[in-house]
Amino acid sequence: MHKAIPAALLLGALILPAAAAGPKHGDKWIIGMSQCNLGEPWRVQMNADIRRAAEAHPGLEVVFKDAQNDTLRQRSQIEEFIDADVDLLVVSPKEAAPLTPPVAAAYRRGIPVIVLDRKVLGDEFTQFIGADNQRIGRAAGEWAVRRLLSLPQVRAGGRARIVELTGLMTSTPGQDRLAGFHAALRGQPVDIIFSADTQWLEPRAREEMESALAVNPRIDLVYAHNDPAAHGAYLAAKAAEREKDIIFVGIDGLPQEGQVYVRQGLLAASFEYPTGGREAVETALRILHGESVPKRVTLNSRFFTMENVGGGGEWLP
Amino acid sequence: MKAGSVRRWLAAPSFRALLALAFVVAIGCAFNADGAFFRWGTHRDMLRQVSVYGILGCGMTLVIISGGIDLSVGSVVGLCAVLFARQTLHEGQAAPAALAVVLGAGTAIGLLSGALVARFRVQAFVATLAMMVFARGLAKWVSGGQKISQAIQHPDGTFTYVDLPAVFQRLDHRILGGNLSVVTLVFLGCVLLSWVVLEKLRYGRYLYATGGNEEAARLSGVPVARAKLLAYGLSGLFAAVAGVCQAAQEQQGDPEAGSTYELTAIAIAVIGGNTLSGGRGGIGLTLLGALTIGYLEKVLSINAVGESSRLMLTGAIIIAAVLLQRRKAG
Repeated sequence: MHKAIPAALLLGALILPAAAAGPKHGDKWIIGMSQCNLGEPWRVQMNADIRRAAEAHPGLEVVFKDAQNDTLRQRSQIEEFIDADVDLLVVSPKEAAPLTPPVAAAYRRGIPVIVLDRKVLGDEFTQFIGADNQRIGRAAGEWAVRRLLSLPQVRAGGRARIVELTGLMTSTPGQDRLAGFHAALRGQPVDIIFSADTQWLEPRAREEMESALAVNPRIDLVYAHNDPAAHGAYLAAKAAEREKDIIFVGIDGLPQEGQVYVRQGLLAASFEYPTGGREAVETALRILHGESVPKRVTLNSRFFTMENVGGGGEWLP
Repeated sequence: MKAGSVRRWLAAPSFRALLALAFVVAIGCAFNADGAFFRWGTHRDMLRQVSVYGILGCGMTLVIISGGIDLSVGSVVGLCAVLFARQTLHEGQAAPAALAVVLGAGTAIGLLSGALVARFRVQAFVATLAMMVFARGLAKWVSGGQKISQAIQHPDGTFTYVDLPAVFQRLDHRILGGNLSVVTLVFLGCVLLSWVVLEKLRYGRYLYATGGNEEAARLSGVPVARAKLLAYGLSGLFAAVAGVCQAAQEQQGDPEAGSTYELTAIAIAVIGGNTLSGGRGGIGLTLLGALTIGYLEKVLSINAVGESSRLMLTGAIIIAAVLLQRRKAG
């Protein structure tokens, strides 16, 4: 029995450098990607970004799993990846606390883990990649204030009137996009005259905007926490023939969604919330080739307006 | 009028449903958001918002009267929304052909549920629950998990853009001097069709008989299986119509569209006074139920009631409306 221990240690010593030098299975690195919910277009985009970035590297193979917005399902999918002994794990967790143990288990087993978008607790992971919703919300607020201050009715000493269509307010992105925006508005001649929780849903946003229009004869700007909600609000205003009087601002800036709305002139601006998919694959390659990587990476994001969308947007200041 | 007939009239389900509606409208008059509730635009918007739910409610009513339930309608909305968007936007198909495909698909799903329930004796709850999951998967497969919009993405990440076909604008449009949404007319059309089926066709009586006492109906020669097939088939058809209306109003096909709409459709039918045990009720009750739910949401929305209070108030007011109906019945 005790003869087996040094043998195992020796084996381990042999395997560890080997793992850094080459794939564990066959001639391809296997990356397990655990996505928490493919019901959201933004997360579909994240997977698409990962797939596209990985396709550029023939030595990579990515296996995707979708937890369908179920924490426990995601937990078991991560455990399946550990059992399959993947070369690297990418996790975009649904929630921090319940998904910390499986992520830590993978990390302790020597599987590098990249955590995307939402955090896990502690530091038993290789790298966290995420964007800063508060910063994006604040940038949207600063942009909105600049636009509103140039309106004739505000220049004449009036106050601008904003409708805010929030995301699900029990979610952190919703809370942060609100907090950042409100921080930028402080001390400015602007009022939020109507606010409603759209739960990220476009039909809900349209209904709430119809109410906002019914109650308020003048609305200068609509700030929506995601582009679908901004689009729904635009459609409501268009039906009321008031879309020309209102500036619409959204968040997410997905290529097939927000950027298109900006191109079509429906939204005045959309602020990108980057998926980090491409960055995750780049980091994965560095880790697999034995480089060390920083623990945390905050993604910079772009914003898109009619003027810059053709050229791929502009980075936030 | 004799006292007896007054009492009977007061106890009639339609009067009770009207009472629930009046209760919600009264709340709206009291909390009118600086007069917004008294403007026609608010009512027109409410009628537009409730139309998709109402269309689903029509199919749900037929199924409920036959003694069943159809949980698949929300998923069929999603499936038909992406199908319609794909056929018109991506395939460039003409509107009538696309409509035929989509309505055919919805009806087929409904008939499949109906066959499971009628021929294979699977419980309606189970059969349509399975269909709900299946149709949602189909919607995601058809769309590749993405919303189908005017921007068509190519494998290399670039986009081409297509114009919105006229059928989208025509459906998301207002008529009568901007005073009525077209989707509301579609809803009323579905109500009318359901009324004809229930009140004018022999099959309407078969539906009531099947839902009332299936065994007795079978023994007295009612084609129970065919009646059920009709109910689920029409429910699928209406869900497809709702999906088309949803896509037209969103200007895209969203594979997640319509999730949990089946619950609202059931709520509409039940608040109107249709009984879940089947055999009783009518489409007029569903119309009143749709208005009740529509006004409830609208009143809470124009008053900008916060989300947590809104959910609690919705629950409380639904219970109050149902209890109000019951007291008058006794």
